[in-house]
Amino acid sequence: MKKLICMVLALAMVLGLAACGGSTTTAPAATNAPAAAGETAAPAAATSDSINVCIASEPDTLDPALNSAVDGATLTSHLFAGLAKWAQDADGNLIIAPDCATELTEGVENEDGTVTYTYTLRDGLKWSDGQDLTAGDFAFAWKRAASTALGADYGYMFEVVKGYPDELAVEATDDKTLVVTLNNAVAYWNELMAFPAYFPVREDVVANEGWATDPSTYISNGAYTMTGWTHNSVITLTKNDDFYDAANVTMKEINFYLSDDANNMLSNFKNGEWLLIDDVPTNEIPALKEQYPDEFKVEGQIGTYYVCWNINEDILPADSGLTGVEAENAKAEIRNAITLLYDRNYIVEEIAQGGQVPASSFVPMGMTDADGSQFYKNAGHNDGFDGYYDVSEDAYEANYEAAIETLKKYYTYDESTGMFTNFPTLTYLYNTSEGHKAIGEYLSSALASVGITMNLENQEWNTFLNTRKNGDYSVARNGWLADYNDPISFLDMWVTGSGNNDAQFGKGANKDVKAYSLDLSDLGYDVNVVNGTWAETYDVIIGLIKSCTDTAKRYELMHRAEDLLMSTGCIVPLYFYTDIYMLDSSVHGFFSNPLGYKYFMNCTIG
Amino acid sequence: MSSKTLKYILKRIAMAILTIWIVITVTFFVMRAVPGGPFLSEKAVSEAAQKALEAKYGMDKPLMVQYFTYLKDIVTKFDFGPSIKLRGRMVIDVIIDGMRTSVKLGVCAAAIALVFGVVLGAVAALRRNGFADKVIMVLTTAFISMPSFIIGSLMVLILSVKLGWFPANGETAKGLILPVIALSLSPMANITRLTRSSMLDVLGQDYIRTARAKGVPPMKIIFGHALKNSLIPVITYVGPMLAYIVTGSLVIEQVFAVPGIGRAFVSSITGRDYPLIMGTTIVLATLIVIMNLVSDILYKLVDPRINLE
Repeated sequence: MKKLICMVLALAMVLGLAACGGSTTTAPAATNAPAAAGETAAPAAATSDSINVCIASEPDTLDPALNSAVDGATLTSHLFAGLAKWAQDADGNLIIAPDCATELTEGVENEDGTVTYTYTLRDGLKWSDGQDLTAGDFAFAWKRAASTALGADYGYMFEVVKGYPDELAVEATDDKTLVVTLNNAVAYWNELMAFPAYFPVREDVVANEGWATDPSTYISNGAYTMTGWTHNSVITLTKNDDFYDAANVTMKEINFYLSDDANNMLSNFKNGEWLLIDDVPTNEIPALKEQYPDEFKVEGQIGTYYVCWNINEDILPADSGLTGVEAENAKAEIRNAITLLYDRNYIVEEIAQGGQVPASSFVPMGMTDADGSQFYKNAGHNDGFDGYYDVSEDAYEANYEAAIETLKKYYTYDESTGMFTNFPTLTYLYNTSEGHKAIGEYLSSALASVGITMNLENQEWNTFLNTRKNGDYSVARNGWLADYNDPISFLDMWVTGSGNNDAQFGKGANKDVKAYSLDLSDLGYDVNVVNGTWAETYDVIIGLIKSCTDTAKRYELMHRAEDLLMSTGCIVPLYFYTDIYMLDSSVHGFFSNPLGYKYFMNCTIG
Repeated sequence: MSSKTLKYILKRIAMAILTIWIVITVTFFVMRAVPGGPFLSEKAVSEAAQKALEAKYGMDKPLMVQYFTYLKDIVTKFDFGPSIKLRGRMVIDVIIDGMRTSVKLGVCAAAIALVFGVVLGAVAALRRNGFADKVIMVLTTAFISMPSFIIGSLMVLILSVKLGWFPANGETAKGLILPVIALSLSPMANITRLTRSSMLDVLGQDYIRTARAKGVPPMKIIFGHALKNSLIPVITYVGPMLAYIVTGSLVIEQVFAVPGIGRAFVSSITGRDYPLIMGTTIVLATLIVIMNLVSDILYKLVDPRINLE
């Protein structure tokens, strides 16, 4: 028996050591695969036609239709070519340029107001397996991406196309001609076509459900092909020499390392292994700004970080005696007053620290208006400042005083302590994260200084989404990033039936509240509602925007919609997002777009 | 092997299967009772699309039907189904991918714990009450009482963030060094203590005294007689140790961002990826059950004095 024991033990140890040794030798052994571990990164970075970057961890999917993440969009933009693409002109300005299409044609308006576009594909377009790319592949891909059956997060990007979601009006009249009909003229149509959901995929390729998870089945048509994917480690893209524009693709190989640990990204950036990292530890930001003034980049990103009130939350004191329209207007006035108690400059400078811009409107910086100016600068129609309230540092004290005066109309104010004594207790809901917590703590302390108690409650992400969507909260953290440069993407989410209507406009008790007014008679519309419901006002104006073909009028309607939205006080913008990344100074020819996508195809190192 | 032993083993296997079935059942229903769902995202999909997705994954059927379908697929086809969040990937592939890393991590940790534990334990016993013994005993007490996630976090803070000697994540081979150490310290300390006390016990036995009296060289006494016999309790500890390493790696993989099955398990929960939650839970539970089973059986084989009933 003892012999047996000894043998078992010895065997266990030998196996253990063998396996242990295995783990250290697998890295060099794996170098013949493009997916090597850290050790091989340094020499790869030293050559000028290969670049190592890290933009995020393992993507959920690299199927362009199913992807809804910024990192997935960056990857698919290198792997696929749509009809249009983001590019830089000679002066370095971002433009939307034709990609697979020979040109981005103007639409032809039909009698019923719909608009038809006809595109011709370039000659010699190929899939990465050598087959010809046809217009029919585009038609198939678009119909698939929009379909209810696929249920893609970004299916709604096809909402502008006639027949959405399941009868999409897009047809290939021959192998090189694609005809698509939109419900009405859409200002951002060319930009939509540069969006990953609009990239072509081939029917026989995607018939295999797992096609997008393995390089051997990943057939694409873009500047690069996927040549390696070690899950949770690295994705390797290699230049596609059959790409029609291969002559202008300077970077031969891109290794997208997969990590979601900002500290890890930073140490790999510092030791020169990764030349671009898309995230840095928040607490390192002040130091990095000093140490790497040329490599620490802050770019505007079209998005707003905001606080969202549940419109059905009763915040009036028990003895207010207000009902109906009066009560609703009072609540709006109170919410709009509380908005002024927050010092947004403090939030961006002391807490977020990433160069964010204090926000005073919901439609963010970066969205253009009808005349090409910034939409947010024209919002609120105020002189001397942008947006709906003045968020400059100098204005804070006056804002604060004004807010106190407004709140005094509804609540008991103790002059000796400077506190309100009968404001109902609020709860601020956020998803578990240090950053959101720090902001929540500030918001809570700002209210506590005037006697309003706002408790903090955090929930794990998925539970949080569920709670917020169902309106089981009083005040919640929220944020929204644009998918295309048009303010409608920030406005149509607040219609009654929208799945993103977290504020619960027109839902629950608010459904029957008649407190909203809308007068569009000066714009030539037969709409003049006084004290109507949300559905009779906001839903109506969004409908008009979606069918409006007059650009100037359409943008004016969007300003009116935002006015109505902001008048409720339910949306409390805090700051406009920025995209922070670090780029090694040896890299040239890199660019990113306002949606946060990064482009490496024209990069050179040296 | 006696029929009594065989009966015992069969009984234990039956118990193991029952345990796994209970784990499956409880996980299935608790998971579905938690708020949220796999199709929730910041950008909400339309209700029609949500219905279509639910139908695709069979989630439109009554919960009991889904439960029995799931059980049937597992038992008859060993089919864990597709992942919902990682679209296009099968749960079994995600698990295998994760296991590659986790097994590496776990086996290394177990080997280190065994080798160093036995050596340190023997040293401590031979230098009883000496300086080495005292140092070893203080350290092992510390390692046993400190949870692995505290040790792990401290190591990340000091060795990765402050000194920068090791990567803070376990995505590379070098990155696995810290998690392996963090995971092995506690079982190593246990083995050290076990070896020490059992070695002291053996060293006091008559046959050792006889060997000494006969003039057998000290090295031969230690390696030829003492160590061999003092390893019996260590063997019985291997099962629980492996179970500890499996559960411990859940935490360690989070602390060090190791892309193993533990991390897949946690992210499947945050994403409400129901099939992946079930798959990872079943695999981890099965591993633990098997290890305990093997350990119990080994225990009996090693020491016939143990009463199986």
